[in-house]
Amino acid sequence: MHATEDNQLVARAVSAQDTRAFGELVRRHQSQVRNFLRKLSGDVTLADDLSQDCFMHAWDKLSTFSGRGSFIGWLLKVAYTTFLQSRRKSKRYAEILEQAGHATEIEDRNHSVQADEVTDLDKLLAVLTEEERAIMVMSYACGLSHREIGDATSLPVGTVKSVIFRGKQKIRTSFDIKDHKHG
Amino acid sequence: MISKIINMADRMKDAEDRLLESMFAAAPIADDGFSARVVGKVRRRLWLRRLALPVAALIGGAIAIKPLAALVTLIASLSMLVPQELLGTLTDFIPQAQTVVLGALLLAVCLLGMRMLED
Repeated sequence: MHATEDNQLVARAVSAQDTRAFGELVRRHQSQVRNFLRKLSGDVTLADDLSQDCFMHAWDKLSTFSGRGSFIGWLLKVAYTTFLQSRRKSKRYAEILEQAGHATEIEDRNHSVQADEVTDLDKLLAVLTEEERAIMVMSYACGLSHREIGDATSLPVGTVKSVIFRGKQKIRTSFDIKDHKHG
Repeated sequence: MISKIINMADRMKDAEDRLLESMFAAAPIADDGFSARVVGKVRRRLWLRRLALPVAALIGGAIAIKPLAALVTLIASLSMLVPQELLGTLTDFIPQAQTVVLGALLLAVCLLGMRMLED
């Protein structure tokens, strides 16, 4: 029902360049996209900026949504790509700063991230690699199927399953997750 | 016995998955004008795209008007070099030659205009 409505809204947005239909799609999915990017980046402000970029990219690429999978699955693929692109850019920026001898600026930025409030989930996510984190969040926070995660990350379903298995093992060995009382 | 162990393992796995789901679960984020900001950006981009072509055409036209006028003058002077008999022969063969050329030009302009409107 919801998926059909999403597909109808996408069709309206693509065929008539209907910004109101696109606005409705943004309203419906902004929470999941922002939550996904917050967990992935660990920075609320950056995540919200990336979410805006993600929806702008989504608007540009909306005609490529085939309607076969869920719209949120497709949207999270765009969000993940946006996140990876921003990571690459900031890495390059850090390299340039390092070459220019601005090491203090990088240190300051790292320090401000460390100073932020660290939650249980942050500690949990910290033991995972970037790819594992993205896949675990897509699976456990966004409720995507293994196939949808495979589509979003361009990985085979088998690899997705093994990454989830590996992630769970890492969490199990690093934390006693039975002690966790609430979400 | 084996099936019992498998069932237990499945149940354990499900419990762990549920626990992870509860740990990863987050409260929905309030919109707080987020979608309005995104839609505003999209609308601005659409307007810029719609304006870009006519503005570019205007600027291009303004820049090109002087060389175009010179080109028309040159073509007119070149047409004087074409023997009048040849022009007369062409008009003899196709009496509506001038109308056909004018019509073709108008059609091309209309098609271009339609394309611009569609874009």
